[in-house]
Amino acid sequence: MSNIFPILKNGIYLVCFTFLLSGCASSPEKTTHKAYTVEIMQMKFQPAELMVQKEDTVVWINRDIVAHDVTEQPGKLWTSGPLASGESWSVVVAESADYYCSIHVVMKGKLIVQ
Amino acid sequence: MKINKPLTVLTTVAIVCGAILSMPAFAQKDTKLSDAEIASVAVTANQIDINYAKIAKEKSKNVEVLKFAKTMTDDHTAIINQAVALVTKLKVTPKDNAVSKQLLSDAEKTKKMLRSKSAKTFDKAYIDNEVAVHKAVIGTVESLLIPQSQNAELKKLLQDVVPALKAHLAHAEMVQKMFAKK
Repeated sequence: MSNIFPILKNGIYLVCFTFLLSGCASSPEKTTHKAYTVEIMQMKFQPAELMVQKEDTVVWINRDIVAHDVTEQPGKLWTSGPLASGESWSVVVAESADYYCSIHVVMKGKLIVQ
Repeated sequence: MKINKPLTVLTTVAIVCGAILSMPAFAQKDTKLSDAEIASVAVTANQIDINYAKIAKEKSKNVEVLKFAKTMTDDHTAIINQAVALVTKLKVTPKDNAVSKQLLSDAEKTKKMLRSKSAKTFDKAYIDNEVAVHKAVIGTVESLLIPQSQNAELKKLLQDVVPALKAHLAHAEMVQKMFAKK
């Protein structure tokens, strides 16, 4: 029986050590990135303006009959290319951006990084 | 043999759509259309605008005009495909009518007018026509085709098409303003 105590004692130390380690590891705030959806419907980006955090993901889904695209404006720094009806495309947001549909130039949207 | 049915549908619809496009005031108060006739009108109008875009591709060298014409071709083709799919599903046989005949007849005159334009004057004539045509079609779809359509799916398709037509109109007006500045 006397041999059990050192083992038990060591075991408790191990549990405490592991607990401390895990506590230390999780102490910096965990950044959880969200995913948002913008529907392309009735020839509009819905919502047209979206507030996000840096590195959040935005998914655009084309619900219209006709094809659309999602293109950064004014520099065309990024684009989805044509999205047929039912297709989707996503981007991880690095910074605020204005965008539009280069097929239907009157359709505009905005990503605002908070 | 199966290929004949969609072709007949397209032809019929193209006729009606053309009439609506070129005769804004035609399909008004006293016109009564069945679902078969409405489907025909819708497809015809779309086909006529595709035909105008084809002329633009042949005659224009302006980047904005060519881009607009491509959008018209792609969008109106997508709408026709939806309409044909619906008509096939509903087993509706599109039916020629006075509106469709008038549309086609007027569209022929418009095509002649566009083909007669010089390279210098074509772009403005094409875009001016697109603005007029889309205004006319939006009016006809909203005040005649949607209210008179009996089938819910046909009504919904027509309602879904209106925002596209309005975006086309806004796009055409934007290009039109560019010509006005020159």
